[in-house]
Amino acid sequence: MNKNRNVGIIGIGQSVYSSHREDVNQPEMIHEAVVEALDQAGMTMDDIDCVVHGNMELFEMVHQPDLWHTLGTGVFGKESLRVTTGGTTGATLVCAADNLVASGLHDVVMAIGFEKLQEGHTTGGITNMADPLWARQLQTGALTGMTAAEIIDEFGEDRAKKASMKYRIIMDKHAMKNDKAHRRLGLEFDQADDLMVNSPALVGELRMIDMCSQSDGTCVMIFASEEKAKKFCKQPAWIKDHITVHREESYYIFGDAPYTTSHRYAARKLFERNGVKNPRKEIDMFEMYDPSSWWGLDWLREFLLLEGDEHLKMVENDDITMKGSFPVNPSGGVIASNPIGATAMVRVAEAAMQIMGTAGDHQVPKTVNQALASGFGGTMWTVLFLLTRDVPGRDEHLISSV
Amino acid sequence: MSTAREDCFTMEGKLALPYQYFAGLTGSRFLISLRDQKKIKGLKCNKCNKIFVPPRSTCEICFEEISGNWVDLKNSGTVTGFTIIRYEEPHQPVKPPYILALIKLDGADTPLTHIVKGVPLSKMKVGMKVKAMFAKKSTSSIMDIDHFRPVEGKPKFEMGYTYDELEVGMSASFSKTISESDVYLFAGISGDFNPMHLNEEFAKMTPFGTRIAHGALPQSLIAPVLGMKLPGLGTVALEIMARFKAPTYFGDTITATGEVVEKLEKKRWVRMALTWTNQKDELVAEGSALVIPPMPLPQQAE
Repeated sequence: MNKNRNVGIIGIGQSVYSSHREDVNQPEMIHEAVVEALDQAGMTMDDIDCVVHGNMELFEMVHQPDLWHTLGTGVFGKESLRVTTGGTTGATLVCAADNLVASGLHDVVMAIGFEKLQEGHTTGGITNMADPLWARQLQTGALTGMTAAEIIDEFGEDRAKKASMKYRIIMDKHAMKNDKAHRRLGLEFDQADDLMVNSPALVGELRMIDMCSQSDGTCVMIFASEEKAKKFCKQPAWIKDHITVHREESYYIFGDAPYTTSHRYAARKLFERNGVKNPRKEIDMFEMYDPSSWWGLDWLREFLLLEGDEHLKMVENDDITMKGSFPVNPSGGVIASNPIGATAMVRVAEAAMQIMGTAGDHQVPKTVNQALASGFGGTMWTVLFLLTRDVPGRDEHLISSV
Repeated sequence: MSTAREDCFTMEGKLALPYQYFAGLTGSRFLISLRDQKKIKGLKCNKCNKIFVPPRSTCEICFEEISGNWVDLKNSGTVTGFTIIRYEEPHQPVKPPYILALIKLDGADTPLTHIVKGVPLSKMKVGMKVKAMFAKKSTSSIMDIDHFRPVEGKPKFEMGYTYDELEVGMSASFSKTISESDVYLFAGISGDFNPMHLNEEFAKMTPFGTRIAHGALPQSLIAPVLGMKLPGLGTVALEIMARFKAPTYFGDTITATGEVVEKLEKKRWVRMALTWTNQKDELVAEGSALVIPPMPLPQQAE
């Protein structure tokens, strides 16, 4: 991507993720993360030029939450805008903040993604997304067992289920190291056979244990121009590039006809234009938006442009664990914590924390020079980020072509 | 041009929108003190000294954490704005029409929204002093305050129309059937034992052929009009003139009417046209009055 100037992530704040946050109302929950992010960046609200605020439309039944939340966000008297792009909201917030800083419009931008799912009625919100004439009376919500069925078809029931459950247990082991994660179940690998049978089925082979939760929580990130980032932060995480791809998938897939997923398309484009030839070698870790263990498993193949059963082997061979060759979701991922308007932002934040070295107990035991983070939502939206430890070089070829 | 068509469908839909809201520690403390102590509390920003109610845990202008700085507020305050809700829908707390007001509690810097009762819609005004009336039964919500009502309460006496409130054309009347006992009592009150009022045999010899009421008896029926109706309590009568047009027989029902005909701006007096009619709509008497309408009184204590 051709940028006017580099943008660094210099502060990250997260509230505790939980099924209930009865101790705080919405602005108060946001305030917790705002304060943490400001502290980490060594800033006060006076240093912030603009606040970008987002959540999933309608999920809390609050109109114009960005205005109402002023009590907690500190946005009083500042530039502000609201972004809501469904499940990708958090990722789109990062894109917006990056664009605002890179363009030169603002030097320091704070992005806030939040959700208080316990207060709203997600099915009510999601039902609104379906076409009112053709689909609203028919649609079923956010769960699908399709991917599980496809993986089972392709690799056989035994191998597919074992890989999916192993992915799930690895994610829980990661979440156990992340204080802020919502679901920290303490699962052990020897429970796999039992869970595969006894966890309540939701749709087909998608079981309760495989699926992400609904969480309450906030993520806040502070983005700064190269000059400011270097002034305030020893080791910022730099946003090298990001790409957004989306498509109305339900009118595109017919039977078993092969198709390119928005994930694969996004990854191919992003790697191409950043010269990434071998993502698993050149990228050190991946924070993936994994709404279920089945999707997480399948999407490894898509994002890493793998063929055949490479993605299953990555799980089977422990490549994706924190100490593995290609750690995936040291945070525990979306399966552990899912405050929707924040979820996709948490992916970028967690990837940035791995670069900045601030992930604490779930810091991977190696230097992260380049990290990948993805957001997902709606009817196949993908937002994919490439973050770096070193200040991205300016692509003179692109600049001169402008 | 009508764009309605017979050959196009309209889909009727309905979505459920249930929700919860977590009050949080700060909001909950406010509700608890309403419920248990019938006390309204606010939170103070120590930087700008503003006291917020309903409470908030941060001052958004100073961006200070203020959730520990509770202060007690008075249960009374001043209306800073209001609207009258006239449309009706199923989820309203009371049946319209009702007054929804912004009330700045004594000691607070921000207004609280609530219902005001106990004041006619037409008399509602900004600046009114009101006090909180707590609900008999707690719902652990802002409705633990049932409503606010004027501090003055209902005046003990409904004072009459002031000069400014009176308009030319306003009128009021009082009716009464004049009985034999009225006439006898009036004779006692006035000392006028004239046999034309009291002695039927004598009265037969008069042009009226029977006993009639004293002229001043129907005339006095204008007193409750001026003194108690228009202008009403507080009126001082300066002059009452009457010309008698027809007799009042026992059993006649007399209606005395006063109508504002002139406002004397200089003196702030009012001239009223007076008429007395009987049940046959015959004019019994007519005349005029000059009155000083009631002055606006200082607010009475409840």
